[in-house]
Amino acid sequence: MTKQTVAQGSGLLLLLAVAAVFPLVFTNPTATNFAVVTLVFVAVASAWNIFSGFSGYLSLGHAVFYGTGAYFLTVAANDWKLSAGAIFWLVPLAGLAAAVIAVPLGLVALRVRRHTFVVITIAFFFIAQLSASNLSVTGGSSGMLVPQPNWAGATFNNPFYYVALVIAVATIVLAWLVRRSRFGLQLRAIRDDEDRAAGLGVRAMPVKLAALVLSAFITGMAGAVWVYFTGEAVPQFVFDPLFDLAIVLMAFFGGLGTVAGPVLGALVLQPAQLWLNLEETNSYSSEILFGALFLVVILFLPRGVLPTGAEYLSKAQAWIRRRRAAPGETAREPAAGADDAITPTSAPGGAA
Amino acid sequence: MGTEIAHAIADGILGGGVYALMAAGLTLVFGVLDIINVAQGILVVLGAYLSYVLSVHLHIDLLVGLLITVPAMFVIGVGIYWLFIRTLRGAERTSMTLLACFAVALIIEGVLYREFGSNYVSLNAWYVNQSVHIFGFYLADIYLIGFGLAVAAVVVLYLILYRTTFGRAVRATMQNQTAARLIGIDVNRVAALTFGIGVAVTAIGGMVYGSITSFTPNSGYDLISRLLAIVILAGMGSIGGALAAAVFMTTIEALVDIWQPDWSIVVFYLAMVIVLTFRPQGLFGRHAVRAQ
Amino acid sequence: MRSHPHRARYLALGTTALLAAALIAGCSSGGGSKPSSSGPIIIGTSLSLTGDFSTDGIAFEKGYELWVHDINAHGGIMGRKVQLDILNDNSSQTQVVTNYTDLINVKHVDLTFGPFSSLLTAPAAEVAHRYNFAFIEGAGGSPLVFGEKLPDVFDVALPVANELDPFVNWIKSLPASQRPTTAAYPMANDPFATPQVQLAQSELQPLGIKTLYSKIFPEEEPDYLPNADIVAGKKPQAVILGSVDVPTVAAFMKGFEEQHYNPKVFVAAAGPDQGSAFESAVGGPGNANGMMVPDAWYPGYPSATSQAMVNEYVAKYGGTASGVNADVAEAYSVGEVTAQAVEATHSLSGPKLIAYLHSGVTLTSVEGPVSFNSIGENVKAIAFIFQWQNGKFVQVLPTTATGSVPILYPKTNWSS
Repeated sequence: MTKQTVAQGSGLLLLLAVAAVFPLVFTNPTATNFAVVTLVFVAVASAWNIFSGFSGYLSLGHAVFYGTGAYFLTVAANDWKLSAGAIFWLVPLAGLAAAVIAVPLGLVALRVRRHTFVVITIAFFFIAQLSASNLSVTGGSSGMLVPQPNWAGATFNNPFYYVALVIAVATIVLAWLVRRSRFGLQLRAIRDDEDRAAGLGVRAMPVKLAALVLSAFITGMAGAVWVYFTGEAVPQFVFDPLFDLAIVLMAFFGGLGTVAGPVLGALVLQPAQLWLNLEETNSYSSEILFGALFLVVILFLPRGVLPTGAEYLSKAQAWIRRRRAAPGETAREPAAGADDAITPTSAPGGAA
Repeated sequence: MGTEIAHAIADGILGGGVYALMAAGLTLVFGVLDIINVAQGILVVLGAYLSYVLSVHLHIDLLVGLLITVPAMFVIGVGIYWLFIRTLRGAERTSMTLLACFAVALIIEGVLYREFGSNYVSLNAWYVNQSVHIFGFYLADIYLIGFGLAVAAVVVLYLILYRTTFGRAVRATMQNQTAARLIGIDVNRVAALTFGIGVAVTAIGGMVYGSITSFTPNSGYDLISRLLAIVILAGMGSIGGALAAAVFMTTIEALVDIWQPDWSIVVFYLAMVIVLTFRPQGLFGRHAVRAQ
Repeated sequence: MRSHPHRARYLALGTTALLAAALIAGCSSGGGSKPSSSGPIIIGTSLSLTGDFSTDGIAFEKGYELWVHDINAHGGIMGRKVQLDILNDNSSQTQVVTNYTDLINVKHVDLTFGPFSSLLTAPAAEVAHRYNFAFIEGAGGSPLVFGEKLPDVFDVALPVANELDPFVNWIKSLPASQRPTTAAYPMANDPFATPQVQLAQSELQPLGIKTLYSKIFPEEEPDYLPNADIVAGKKPQAVILGSVDVPTVAAFMKGFEEQHYNPKVFVAAAGPDQGSAFESAVGGPGNANGMMVPDAWYPGYPSATSQAMVNEYVAKYGGTASGVNADVAEAYSVGEVTAQAVEATHSLSGPKLIAYLHSGVTLTSVEGPVSFNSIGENVKAIAFIFQWQNGKFVQVLPTTATGSVPILYPKTNWSS
């Protein structure tokens, strides 16, 4: 146990403690409302990253998993007539439903690469949205209501908060474990150069599919929590094209392929979006702002805020160390830090 | 029933032409620069709005107005490439160009909202509601014009690519950027001009689109999804292939409309998915499986 | 293992988490003052000023604002001025829940008005219910909203499914030789459009009117032409179109014109009621002539308050009387009903207002009488059918209602 590990460990524990008492300190339902929605997106962004960030396959169809989870909970809650608290037990089942859906979708989509993959995920998105509008089991275009609990208004949001918190924390831990594991290494090898990885013995399809299924499981759970929280499942809201783009932006903003990146992205962007709508009732300036922010991130922080920020921080520390070292004596600095995210050096599949 | 099917097929073919016209720019940019320009949807809408402004405020006929909107969009296209896309390279290039184009789309959409609000508008001209009597039913003039323009666009683009020096430079860049640079081609300039041409053709697509249906700044999203499906189904870079793929998809859709219109769009996307499952490189894609 | 970038990363993450928490906490504690009993009455609402529902959202905003302006000119409610606090929900389900939570818990509004669209009203009404607010709205009339069976929901507008009743009754009243013999029922896949057309079909078929076409098409169709062509090819004498907006109707009309097909009677669920937006989209009064649409209100409605409202709208926002969107009247009615309830109970308390509104009392509005049943439907709402005649939007059905003019039947041919 080095000093640094202890420091990091206690820092994380502190963060967890703060999160645990958040609703007890900030009791206003608006605060917990923001928190629930933000935590849901932290989970989704991290889950998306476990698949797309690590494997390099950009998915714009994750709303399919979100929606599957949401509709599963809605239909089951209506059919099985559960009590308000018991409905939360449907959440993991909803995740399972999404995971099951991910298998056939993955077997079809993961056979193609890059742009084709992206467009197939878009196609799946539309097929899902339109099917939900047409089928009577999902309530058709009118949608369905989710039975709402009768809890008091002042603390209504709190159970949702804790469920969302558990899911978000579990997702972050999962992402961290995947990253450190051999599985994660195989994923990153696929991202760097899939054919070379296959040549080295990585069985690409099972690995990719496993990542997709895991990602879908979490995303489905998040969708279930969200739909229970807001109370209705309507095709055009459950399957929202901007949902996928928002997650991608969050993951990108924070740092694609890192563990903390999507979390940072969600923590910053989701409350910001809710807040911006509360403050800026005038129209489309928020959209232009979003687009501009996007461009700034892409052009100047191409690896995301965190990796770039971390780089600057490391460079600053190294500079300070050099200044502190006496002239003539080279500072004892650790080897210059490329972060341990293996930076891909070639585009998968060929020349840039 | 027979006339009905024939009519649906005719509608499908003509509709496919219109979509191919809107997708031509997307195909060109995809094939040459390996960029999926997800702003294509909103660029079509932008072209429609430009024609709208010329038609409503300056009373310039839609087809004549193309003489203005096409060069204008060309400049816009070159600008977008030069400012936002040129510098993107490296491993994450696919995702980054995708997101950069999306960011540009957001900005254009926001600007259009500010200028025009969210009311539906459409383009009008004397030929927009007329039709021709063929085979016992009527075919709308504007669709015939659109189809004709689509074919013309395909031909012109082919001529540019295969009969001009510039076109040769473009094809060289497409095949191998490094080698192209080595023989002295200014790859950036070629790329910028190609992007510009792609967007310029979109101006024509926008005009036809706006004459067929009402639009608002929000219309870009549904458009881009269909255009992407067509381009990917066609396969990388095949412009004539995009016309074929578009006709294929819209004809199936129009046929489904006869019996189950609520599933027609699902069938549209499902058709694409099925084809790609068996032929990942698309109907007319060139590359074999490795780099797809 | 490189620990320095790790440390930097976790440090950054920790800081951000704390910042996010602070932001969340901060914006949820600022804002409104505690409710007092002598300052202005604050009414909170969330409207779709951007996004899919923005056209209607903005019309609602104008209606609410017009009402506030009027009520204040007459001394306010209970002698207190009224203030409106409007938040934008961007046509988003998540945002509308956040907005009403914020309005009630941070801005401490006294009353709430509903948002636009049943799809947003349903989740919003749950939030209001949680905090015992009366939720008076004018745009949530689909079974989704009433399915919640919430006591606090009050929809001043006409329930959706019965909108075409006057049309059906009129057809029934015609001698058999004059009735259309065939009909087509194309419907957009939308909870607003489908129920009323399906109901109309079930009533017209037994009269011997043959159904040549009855299908549901996707709501957001990129191109309606193939569907319009198919309907035109069958040449039905009557077309009852389940549309939700102007583009759908305009596309069908355009398709019919191109196919040189003109039905004897053409009624659309929505679109022709959008005033000048409709007229310009279809190419002018010539083409609009004869198009019919159901609605609970129109600019020419012969009631003093309605006329006054229309004149004020035109004075404030320009345009002509026929260009006034029915949404404006719906929003205005929400305000009127609220004011009457508050004045009658002499209180702003949610439970008292709810009890009063459920007592069977009949209130007035620019849209006519308002009286709620146990789940909040307005059972006294009147349905009218309107028709475009020579560039004017006039009331034609029920034929016996005050203000109805003779109906134009059969429909004149296209003339753009």
